[in-house]
Amino acid sequence: MPEGLQPHSTAGCQESAPTKLSIENVNVHFGSVVALSDVSLDILDGEFVCILGASGCGKSTLFNVVSGLLTANSGRIVLDGQDVSNRPGQVGYMLQKDLMLPWRTVLGNITLAASLTRGATAQDRAEAAELASRYGLGEFLNHYPHALSGGMRQRVAMMRTIAAGRQVMLLDEPFGALDAQTRLGMQQWLLQLWRDLKRTILFVTHDVDEAIFLADRIVVMTPRPGRIAEILKVDLPRPRLLEVLTTDTFVGLKRQIMQHLYH
Amino acid sequence: MNTRFGTAAGPFLIWIVAMVLILGAWQMLVWLSGLPPYVIPPPALAFSTLFENWPRLSVLTGQTLYETAIGYVAGALIGFVLALAMGQIRVVQRLVMPALIISQAVPIVAVAAPLVIIFGFGLMPKLIIVAWIVFFPVVVNVLDGLASVDRDMLNLARLMGGGSLRTFAIVKLPACIGPLFSGLKIGATYAVTGAVIGEWTASSKQGLGTYLLTANAQMNTAGVYAAMLLLTVIGVGSFLLVFGLEVLATPWRSRSTAPAWAQWKPKQAAV
Repeated sequence: MPEGLQPHSTAGCQESAPTKLSIENVNVHFGSVVALSDVSLDILDGEFVCILGASGCGKSTLFNVVSGLLTANSGRIVLDGQDVSNRPGQVGYMLQKDLMLPWRTVLGNITLAASLTRGATAQDRAEAAELASRYGLGEFLNHYPHALSGGMRQRVAMMRTIAAGRQVMLLDEPFGALDAQTRLGMQQWLLQLWRDLKRTILFVTHDVDEAIFLADRIVVMTPRPGRIAEILKVDLPRPRLLEVLTTDTFVGLKRQIMQHLYH
Repeated sequence: MNTRFGTAAGPFLIWIVAMVLILGAWQMLVWLSGLPPYVIPPPALAFSTLFENWPRLSVLTGQTLYETAIGYVAGALIGFVLALAMGQIRVVQRLVMPALIISQAVPIVAVAAPLVIIFGFGLMPKLIIVAWIVFFPVVVNVLDGLASVDRDMLNLARLMGGGSLRTFAIVKLPACIGPLFSGLKIGATYAVTGAVIGEWTASSKQGLGTYLLTANAQMNTAGVYAAMLLLTVIGVGSFLLVFGLEVLATPWRSRSTAPAWAQWKPKQAAV
């Protein structure tokens, strides 16, 4: 599998990948409040980028602009070389809230995008079932969401985002509501998904450990006005095991980030 | 709200216990008060009157049930469609809401007389009165259901490329099913009252309501109680029927997995 093929699999080897998504000079203000000030960021194809910052730093505003839900005052979003500013539906999107439809089964929720666009076919369902089974949801396909734990529901929400088929996925604090143990399990599960499916992920969090554990690069944002303070490369080998959480590189990065966030 | 009405045999038993208690209290009242049967007939007398007059009472029950059922379905449909229109179009909601509240503030008995003047002694005034009573809880609850849909859920649907019609059918409409049944259950117990009021105002066809009036005028107290029992059965029966439909229509509330017909099964390899 991938780890065997990439003996030096670090963030470094992403360097050669083409740019997938560009955020170009985005400014957003609500009245006199500057939510985002001249934010620019290039994300490479297949890259895992974490956006880290305290609440109020504009992380979610940036996501809403990238997803097309919110119109920026200036700047643009370029996906695969095309301007997709204000065009909702070009990227996948997942929130901390699982947003399950309680009357649909797990499988029905995973195939939601197909149902919403053209009606889910038997093939959509079979593919979704295959995907969900591969990632540990096989025995819950016919369950209603209320019968699942919070962590399981977030897995279903992730599957739903993947099944929607977008190459770039925006994840806005998807594990924010989960307890610490569940969250660690989810992070490892997400990394496995990301390695297998080769999607580009933009992941918002305010958890420093989570950002370092997951990301190729960490974009540190600071509030008032919301802007990018620093972009850090995470030079930790992949696949990442829990042991990396206590390595010197990890702790060093953490110290560096904390200085940005709290000074 | 989680326990609902219990599970399996539970509700059945509770109903029997409740009925025994009510009949017991009724009998006690008769004994303790010492009032003669033409003031308060004992339960046994009311029931024997009911059975003796069953051939006639069954026809009257049928008539009242008919008025109740048709008025109920009409009121529920009108309420549901009106709520969807109000929920989807803000202007309609602003315009219609005051009228709805006024419609419920007017005493229904006062409405009955003009309805008879307009529509005569036939079925129509009864249907309108029943529908008038039923549609309001349906409108209020369905509107709440529509408003309860999470904004983020609608955003997600939009980001997934959902058109407005599909989003409505997949995300909004099912969110109204639970609230719809809440409204329908309230309406189910009131509907029969509407039919009786309609019959009292004026009727060319006899029903339990008209029988009640006649029996009362003839000092046939046992007959009044017999009619009362039948009206109660109609009300309780309607409620239980709607409740049963609700359980069937909202399997996700009472089950952890989809019912067999809705389950996804992997295709078996051809043998």
